[in-house]
Amino acid sequence: MTAADIPDDASIGRTRTGTVRLRPGSRAPGVLLIVALLLLWELSSRAGWIVSAYWPPVSHILAAAVAQLAGGEILVSLAATLRRAAIGYVAASVAGIALGIVLARNRALRCGLLPLIEIVRPMPTPAIIPPLILFLGVDDALKIFIVALASFFPIFTTTFVGVASIDDTLIQTARTFRISSTRMLYGVVLPATLPAIAAGLRTATSLCLVVAVLSEMIAGSSGVGYYLVEMQYAMRPDLMYAAVFYLALTGYALNRGFLALEARLIPWMGKT
Amino acid sequence: MSHRSEARGMGLWSLASPALVLCVWELAGRLGWTNPILLPRPLQIIEVFLGLVSSGAVLSPLLHTVGLFMIGYVIASLLGTALGIAMATSQTLYGLLEPLVESLRPIPKPALVPVLFLFLGIGKATMIVLVVLASVFPVLISTFQGVRGLDPVLLETARTLQISRSRTIFSVILPASLPMILAGMRVALGLGLVLVILAEMLAGEDGIGFRILDHERSFQVREMFAWIVVLVALGGAMMKLFEIAERRLVPWRGRS
Repeated sequence: MTAADIPDDASIGRTRTGTVRLRPGSRAPGVLLIVALLLLWELSSRAGWIVSAYWPPVSHILAAAVAQLAGGEILVSLAATLRRAAIGYVAASVAGIALGIVLARNRALRCGLLPLIEIVRPMPTPAIIPPLILFLGVDDALKIFIVALASFFPIFTTTFVGVASIDDTLIQTARTFRISSTRMLYGVVLPATLPAIAAGLRTATSLCLVVAVLSEMIAGSSGVGYYLVEMQYAMRPDLMYAAVFYLALTGYALNRGFLALEARLIPWMGKT
Repeated sequence: MSHRSEARGMGLWSLASPALVLCVWELAGRLGWTNPILLPRPLQIIEVFLGLVSSGAVLSPLLHTVGLFMIGYVIASLLGTALGIAMATSQTLYGLLEPLVESLRPIPKPALVPVLFLFLGIGKATMIVLVVLASVFPVLISTFQGVRGLDPVLLETARTLQISRSRTIFSVILPASLPMILAGMRVALGLGLVLVILAEMLAGEDGIGFRILDHERSFQVREMFAWIVVLVALGGAMMKLFEIAERRLVPWRGRS
């Protein structure tokens, strides 16, 4: 899909030129703005400025969120979604990194496979789901496959570009020392490409959750995506908003967790 | 992206493997290796596709999808660029808006489809809002990074020459950060299209997304594949147009 290139990982706080550091407290106006907006929401609903059954006050949504958490229903849905996202993500990582390295280093395979990858890549994910339903059914196999397919592209692309742009001197030096091809891979190519691979993995981290939810909406029987559509039909906006909130929280936590892990495992990231 | 130019550099060779796959697919279909109910042959799909095009049946859903998408995309591009520049140039606006942007951004946008359907009802306005929500953040963030990454000498020169703030924005900042703005818009193009197709699928009224899912549910597999061809052609055409426009607007891109 085209979303492959999403720099979704690039949050505002991390610019290309370095991290923008703000004076502590400079976020205060922004936080106040959010609080003000939430208050306005609450008021508009309670005072009846917006008369709609689908505009519940924030306090109702909070109550729904607490009830959801206490009842465990949201946790069950989130767990189902995360499981699919995780399996698809792992499969995509293995395939994306392996193919990225192989295609970057082997001309014949590149000529054969790259055009095929380039054809499938721009397909919008929702469009791939209906034909796949015919082959894979509407169960886990479908959703995991779609997550894997969507996550594959950013991982493959960054790995491929990363390997292709390794400094040639590095490779030549390694050749001069006549190291084996296995050692070349693990000792030279992989460490040099790791930051690029990590960038792709990070994009895929947020993507896999989105795509899992999306596939559950179109062909679901469980998971947050299905839950959302179900609540839409049940006309329970409070539960729906609360579920979106948990989903956003999960997405945020995944991204944060990835960044923390990356800083620990690849300390030279972003210092090249 | 370097591997794209590489694919182009391979010239006709890049057509070889897709052509081979199509031939094998066609042959497998003719030899009865594939289930014709689930997987029609490429020639059958093309036949239905050409029928759609020549009868003009393709027009109404295509215009529906393109119309909704374009309105949302243009709004998102303008809004994203404006907000990105505002947040990058004004510390006050940055402090005011950054927490809001950063808390809305991680929401998986597809999750908002049922939310907005319920709140705004199923209609054109909802679809446009969804496209805007999906497309605005990549443009905003890319613009922001572009402006923040500008050479400070550029801005200081403008200040030395005592150029007014608005002229600095329109004659210095905007042109200089155009490559990054366009990079964000390119990402937004794909995201917006995904959202409009998904919304059409879930709304079930009209548009390419609706056609694809509707034909799948009624097991008209050839028609379904033909509509997917329509969608892929649309996506490809828009990407191509964007690249042409980009090369026109930023001819120095990729040469620096």
